Amino acid sequence: MTIGMKRPTRARLADTAGRWGFLTPAFLILAAVLAYPILYTIEISFSEIDIATFMPGEFVGWDNYETVLTDERFWYALRVTLIYLVFALPLQLLLGFVIAWLVNAEWRGRGVVRALFIIPMVVAPVVAGGIWKMMLDPLWGLTTYLLGLVGLPALDWFGDPVLAMGAIVLIDTWRWTPFVVLIATAGLLSLPRDVFEAAEIDGANWWTTLWRITIPLLVPVIAATFVVRWLGAVKMFDIALAATAGGPGRATNVINLFIYQEAFRGMKFAESAAMCVVVLVITTLLTGLFLRGSRVLEARFQ
Amino acid sequence: MTGKHPNAIRLTRRAALGAAAAAVLAPRARAAGPEDGGGLGTAEKPISIRVMTNDAFSKIWQTTLVPEFNKKFPNIQVTVDGVAYSEQLTKSLLDLSGAKPVYDVVITDDPWTPQLAQTNALLDLKKDAAAWTDPGFDWADFNPAPLAASEWKGVQYGVPVRSNMLLMFYNRTHYRKAGLPEPTPKLTWAEFMAQAPKLVQDLKGEGKPNAWAIDTYFGRDQLTPTIWQAILNANGGKLLDANNKAAFNTKDGVATLQTFVDLLKYAPPGAKNHLFNDSLQSFRQGQVAAMFMWGSVYRGTAIDPATTTLKPDEVGAQVMPVGSALPGTHRGIWSGVVSRKSPTPRAAWAFLQWMSSKEGEAASSSLTGGFPARRSTLAGTPPAPWLAPVFATLQMAYDVAEKGQMWRPRLVKSDSVQQVLADEVARATSGEIDAAAALANAANRIDKLRL
Amino acid sequence: MRGSRLGHRLRVGGGVFVCALFLFPVFWMVLTSFKAPRDAFTRPPKLFFTPTLESYTAYLTFADVPGRMLNTVIVAAGAGLVSIVAGAMAGYALSRIRLRGAATIGAVILLSRGVPPIALAVPMFIVARQLDLLDRHITLILAYCTFLIPYVMWLMRGFFAALPRELEEAAAIDGCSRFGTFLRIIVPISLPGLIATFIFSVILAWEELLFALVLTSREAVTVPVAVAGIAADMTSGVNWSALCAVGTITVIPVVIFSLAVQKWLIQGLSDGATKA
Repeated sequence: MTIGMKRPTRARLADTAGRWGFLTPAFLILAAVLAYPILYTIEISFSEIDIATFMPGEFVGWDNYETVLTDERFWYALRVTLIYLVFALPLQLLLGFVIAWLVNAEWRGRGVVRALFIIPMVVAPVVAGGIWKMMLDPLWGLTTYLLGLVGLPALDWFGDPVLAMGAIVLIDTWRWTPFVVLIATAGLLSLPRDVFEAAEIDGANWWTTLWRITIPLLVPVIAATFVVRWLGAVKMFDIALAATAGGPGRATNVINLFIYQEAFRGMKFAESAAMCVVVLVITTLLTGLFLRGSRVLEARFQ
Repeated sequence: MTGKHPNAIRLTRRAALGAAAAAVLAPRARAAGPEDGGGLGTAEKPISIRVMTNDAFSKIWQTTLVPEFNKKFPNIQVTVDGVAYSEQLTKSLLDLSGAKPVYDVVITDDPWTPQLAQTNALLDLKKDAAAWTDPGFDWADFNPAPLAASEWKGVQYGVPVRSNMLLMFYNRTHYRKAGLPEPTPKLTWAEFMAQAPKLVQDLKGEGKPNAWAIDTYFGRDQLTPTIWQAILNANGGKLLDANNKAAFNTKDGVATLQTFVDLLKYAPPGAKNHLFNDSLQSFRQGQVAAMFMWGSVYRGTAIDPATTTLKPDEVGAQVMPVGSALPGTHRGIWSGVVSRKSPTPRAAWAFLQWMSSKEGEAASSSLTGGFPARRSTLAGTPPAPWLAPVFATLQMAYDVAEKGQMWRPRLVKSDSVQQVLADEVARATSGEIDAAAALANAANRIDKLRL
Repeated sequence: MRGSRLGHRLRVGGGVFVCALFLFPVFWMVLTSFKAPRDAFTRPPKLFFTPTLESYTAYLTFADVPGRMLNTVIVAAGAGLVSIVAGAMAGYALSRIRLRGAATIGAVILLSRGVPPIALAVPMFIVARQLDLLDRHITLILAYCTFLIPYVMWLMRGFFAALPRELEEAAAIDGCSRFGTFLRIIVPISLPGLIATFIFSVILAWEELLFALVLTSREAVTVPVAVAGIAADMTSGVNWSALCAVGTITVIPVVIFSLAVQKWLIQGLSDGATKA
């Protein structure tokens, strides 16, 4: 980069291009693939859809939004989603980091343990939901059998609204805690060793090390993991579809399952598009909040 | 539409591919003379057609029925693609409405004909395809109920290729142990509900019930309302009136939904969320005395020892119990339609004619577990002995369905109606709201759909 | 962190125990795959039964699982590679390069992840149809990039932000270009994060269902679609033994893959440690 010294403007241009060059591939791919679908969704959300062609028909203004926002079922689905998120996310984050610390203990088999740990994520959602359903079933489930051995009655996991939500959180936690473990393991592995050695020499106990060194260093990773898991969890519907189909009643009908059913089962693509836009707005606001929160945390710890 | 941009790219792509693409496409285009409907192919120039169907039976069609078809039409190569049920209607509509549809034949579920017809992309089989219809193809031989599934506004768009009816399966052992007579087509709902408590019994001497009376769809699913609808129809009720307004929100209607919900008292633990697979398993494991289920499961439930613990003579199948009007059932017909934009409609129609011919129906019922729709097939010697009682029951179910109009609403917005019913019926079975409230909600929401 | 010997053993034991707990449903899946369909839903559940390979032999060739597996490998590897490259670069730009407006673009990219996938499936089909790209691997790869890139970008931003700034400063003094610094200094030291994120991307692409259902029909069909097909068998009842067999088979390549890349994960650590 010595040529640039003679022509400062060109060098600056090259520098700017070099900086932006890092963002360009991601931006271009996303713009190319997402621009039309998002515009289409927005357009449909303000139109009547012509089901025969799947093209926007007559412009109807805010009608679809009015229908959606006055639909008590939409709000109910949002509420169900909120309940699920409030329980599932913290549980997965906490479990994930604790387990990552456990499986990071140095011994010969830890590579295998880490590799095995990712399996729950890989099992196709239809199979994962079905296996859990099979194990929890009050009639032929393994858990029912084991409970019966110690004289306890069967739990109607999928017939009781509260238990069904519990089952969804349980299955989702089983499925996605490994993600947190995976990222947290990498986070722990990237920590600079000299800091810990210094702390050890200073005679700090592990509790102090944890709170003063490990966690502060991990804050960006924890925050990123949270945001990614949050964005993934908002969209959860396959597990609910496979395990409860949103039931009993509508107790586990999370928002994306609701939209999916309204679109592909109810053939209401225009209203679904409006719901998608509303969900996008809500997700945007909350994600913005989380991003700000994680910035504050990062700033405080560094 | 916003499609300018993709079109532009497509043009440049075309230019780049140039003559090569044209050369590849040419033979197929030439073979597609409109007058002869593309012909039936020759040994030198075979025709290939593509069929979109449900992936529950696409593979078995490809491996068993297509070879049978090719014995008669060796120059028509058939490719059968399977699509998941939940996306099937959407994909069918998207394909038919495109400028260059991939599929020549689309297999469509019972309530979908109006939606597909609306695209103006289907061949009128009795008019457009009349010239290509085999003189021996006997339209009048079809039972009216299955044939009507692919008719819309007086036009016959399809033929039944895989028929199914909702039946009452029962386990003779359970009935005998409970000291009850086994169900007949005359069994009424009142009788069944009176027998139900006795069918919750201890068959293993455990000192607590380990066998229950009934299992079926109770959870949140588009097919759950069909069970209730069978009770409603059996009592002379209807989903919609002549103006397509909700007609079920009456005292009698609420009573029928209540009957359906009351079944849960005699159903195994966890039945509130049971759907197709769960109820099937509890019946096959000998845990319930009766099951309301699609007839197509008969083979796997009574005959095939790999999938069932029951013996063939242990399992019976009848129409569902009788209400104030007639016995109950519900129609589930897969019909085949031909895309109007197909370059080879004649070959496509030849495939569907064969599928729905006596010959095709025989092959289908013995090889794939599909059921026939023709009177002559049902009355003739069944291809396998175990099919004899099933065929008799099916014939009765077709007649009942025809009389009581026991099918899902035949409308462009049929799936929207079914989704509303699925929602509200599930809320009633879960106990979240009572039957009256569920039907009031459903009626209100259906009328808002402006059918 | 080195604690007492007993503490260390407890920690190892705890890790193994938790892992076993998480693997139990998987064990149940494998077990079920060897059952005949009639044995899958017995009451009480059967731990001992006459095992059969039927689900593996008959059903797998029947549902064309090997071909679909190959499709899945192509799509998952393709989507994983494209998104790790594009996403890691974007993540680096966000965490380490001062750019006016970059934060906004980064946020927009991340938020594109907030669009429910249901909204994208149908319009993507329409575009792909216009471009004659239906049922192709590349279409699925691009579709998967829409959700993988934001994830990779954000996760990598977190990993890069945790690195000490002196690294780049030293490299700049040595006369390294920005991209050179990224490639030679930052990437090697961030290898654990990169590998973990890559594994994650591949897994997400591996198990994706909705786009695959809508955008493919024959040639590019992936395993989850095949699984959904078996699960939808309304003819004779869902064959859970077959589903579990397919489930088991799908898991194996990913486990092998992640075992293989584990080596690099550890290697990345030692490299990073020496360089830091």
